[in-house]
Amino acid sequence: MKKTIVSVLVAFSASAMAQTYDYDVTLKDYQGDAKSSVSYGGQIARHALHNSLKKIISDGDHVEMLKYLSSKEAGRAIIDPVSKDGFEIKQTSIDELSKGKDLLSSAYDGVITGWPGNPTAQELLQELVELASNSKKGYDPVNGYDYTQLVSKFTMGAVFYNKAVNHYLEEKLEAGQSPNDAPYVEGAYYTGTEHVWDEAFGYFGAPANGLELTPKEVVQITKQNPEYFTKADANGDGVVDLKSEMAFAHAYYAASIDASAGTNYFHTIMQAFIDGRQLIANAKGERLTSAQRGELKGYAATIATAWQQVIAEAAFKYAGSVYEDLEKIAVIEDAQGNVNNAFRSYVKHWGELKGFALSLEAAGRDLGNAQAGLDRLIGFSPVLFGGAQVVALDGKGDFIQANVGSMQEYKLNMIKVQNLLAQEFDLKAKLEDQTGGMSEVLNQINAAGQSAEND
Amino acid sequence: MFDHFVGWLGNELVAASSSLLDKSKRVSLWYLLSALLFAWGVLAIRYGHDGWSRLQPYLSWRVWWHRSARTDYLLWFANRLALAVLIPKTLTQAVWISWLYFYWQEAGIGDAQLGWPTSIVIVVFTLCYFFVDDFSRFFVHWCMHKSPWLWAFHQVHHSAKVLTPFTVFRTHPVEGLLFFLRSMTSQSLVISVFLVVFPNQVSLWQIYGVLVTTFLFNALGANLRHSGVALSYGQRIEKWFISPAQHQVHHSNLNQHYDRNFGVALAIWDRMFGSWEPGHDNQMIRFGTNQAIDNMGMLGQWCQPFKDIYELFQARLKRVRIWLVSLQKKTPHTMALWKAPQTGKSVLKQDK
Repeated sequence: MKKTIVSVLVAFSASAMAQTYDYDVTLKDYQGDAKSSVSYGGQIARHALHNSLKKIISDGDHVEMLKYLSSKEAGRAIIDPVSKDGFEIKQTSIDELSKGKDLLSSAYDGVITGWPGNPTAQELLQELVELASNSKKGYDPVNGYDYTQLVSKFTMGAVFYNKAVNHYLEEKLEAGQSPNDAPYVEGAYYTGTEHVWDEAFGYFGAPANGLELTPKEVVQITKQNPEYFTKADANGDGVVDLKSEMAFAHAYYAASIDASAGTNYFHTIMQAFIDGRQLIANAKGERLTSAQRGELKGYAATIATAWQQVIAEAAFKYAGSVYEDLEKIAVIEDAQGNVNNAFRSYVKHWGELKGFALSLEAAGRDLGNAQAGLDRLIGFSPVLFGGAQVVALDGKGDFIQANVGSMQEYKLNMIKVQNLLAQEFDLKAKLEDQTGGMSEVLNQINAAGQSAEND
Repeated sequence: MFDHFVGWLGNELVAASSSLLDKSKRVSLWYLLSALLFAWGVLAIRYGHDGWSRLQPYLSWRVWWHRSARTDYLLWFANRLALAVLIPKTLTQAVWISWLYFYWQEAGIGDAQLGWPTSIVIVVFTLCYFFVDDFSRFFVHWCMHKSPWLWAFHQVHHSAKVLTPFTVFRTHPVEGLLFFLRSMTSQSLVISVFLVVFPNQVSLWQIYGVLVTTFLFNALGANLRHSGVALSYGQRIEKWFISPAQHQVHHSNLNQHYDRNFGVALAIWDRMFGSWEPGHDNQMIRFGTNQAIDNMGMLGQWCQPFKDIYELFQARLKRVRIWLVSLQKKTPHTMALWKAPQTGKSVLKQDK
């Protein structure tokens, strides 16, 4: 009986605690009809642009790709996600989410050292899309590139992660920036601070009721599994509203990692967004005090750290997949079989690894030695048959390959990449771990040689 | 530039001082206190009220502020700064372990699939880690005494005329570098093998975040090794574990005590190498090398080894020359053909 009462109380308190990302208007002197102050349609439009861009890369139409990367034109259809049997989507065009939005202008404008030629993230996105249009359905077997994966994974970092972590949750939270006692722009129904926080949340890509969902449910919503439609359709209107009921990008990856490893990245980030937004709502349209701003920055730091970990966890997982692919290739080669499929899988996983690794350096955060380590260990391309790897660009912008060692030796680099990621970003899930749990032991051993102790 | 240097200096000094509260360091206040309590308990049982008086060397400010002890403190800080520069930054344990782990797998060693519970793997791994680490310490220490080239540096540690727990830091930076390489090599070897054979089960058995064997070693009076408190475990135990009294014998300036008791925690290595010597609560030992270095300050401790290395080199060179001369006398025809390239004169004649 006692147990029953306790479990009912726990369930009740949990449901009472769970919050949807929806807050009333607090802007003083607001005379309009809006009830909710939450608005992040522009960010969801960019998620739809990214999803759609990923779909059309394999078509090889450069003009079409640019429509979703850098154009702001009206009338663009949403190519993904679209309605399917048992999973109806409310919106069919980008304009229904927000008008005049593009991906490229929001991308990181700093240098990316992990790609030959040291381009900015904006230049690199343009370069990758152009290369994709010249490849066969986004696949370049000569240099070992899967442009669908490279463009998709890097866009998530260079646009969503960068804008949220580097811009809204950092620069825009400073005193004097987007104050809470004034509308974000003239005529807006939300305050400056409210909108800054909402835009960061929008880039994360979680459903508004994310705290009520399990990581597995979030994953299945992104996959548009009809069995989870009722979970997705939070307001029960028979359609999934992309603005508040769909999971995109890193929110999906956070939930996916949690679902596989039992970690808590998705809810950690979600809870910090909710707590931060509640703090802003509690200010009731008044300018935040320095104490409130300090607390808000604390939530922002929690989000930034966990978000970075999610990207590093994804890179860790794909480094493990690359290692496994190389083992499979060795086995097939020994048996003198056909390695085409295994090589294709290797290139795909490498593209995912590289895309996530480049994302880590696309948000203006100082990674110290880790950045150089990741760049060198992963290289500019996977190691190809014969031990060749892309090492530079020539004067015409074509890739130059050089012999760097065998494909099998490249496995050692993947072990080092996993160790580096696990230690540098304090990873918890470590999916596809090929190190046998090395980072745990390394953490236990004190750095030798700090002091010359005799016996 | 200067600001950065001062900042770095400050950080290093603070980090060194933090050892006093770090439970993984032998000189932490916890272990300094636990050593005192341990010794007091044992000596009180053996000698009653007289037991306390035997602890006086551990508590005397004359010992702690002796010139030799002050040199220990200076070396502690100075070595930390020197090693921050000397220790290679890229040759990390992670790099070594990764390479060895990969190498074993490529050599065909894989998951043993013994089905052992993780707790058993942790205990076996911890014991192996301890044994290999302890033996490697013993062996490097043994080499330090047997090779005159290495002794030139190790004599710094033995030049202490009084022993305090901080004498553990009385080391030449070159020896500190060798310790770093020893620790990296031995640990990498054990860890990499276990990771391959027992993937995802390997972990060290720790207490308060410290390796269980290190914790026990330190908690049970490791600091007494470098102190004037003669505490023997009795011969039965001393055959297995090195007592403080045994290590003090190692620091003795008497000829009959030279090259005895190289071990750190275990005494079995000394028994295997024939260097085991029992200790005694009533032993009266003077510490030092009986050489000029015993009275030198920090700079002398740093420089004297290089002077000795130079003299050793000169002496060896002389021996080679004598050997060549003797060889020339035996085979004058052959040696006459050995000409110096520029002068055309015989090198041996030049030397004369």
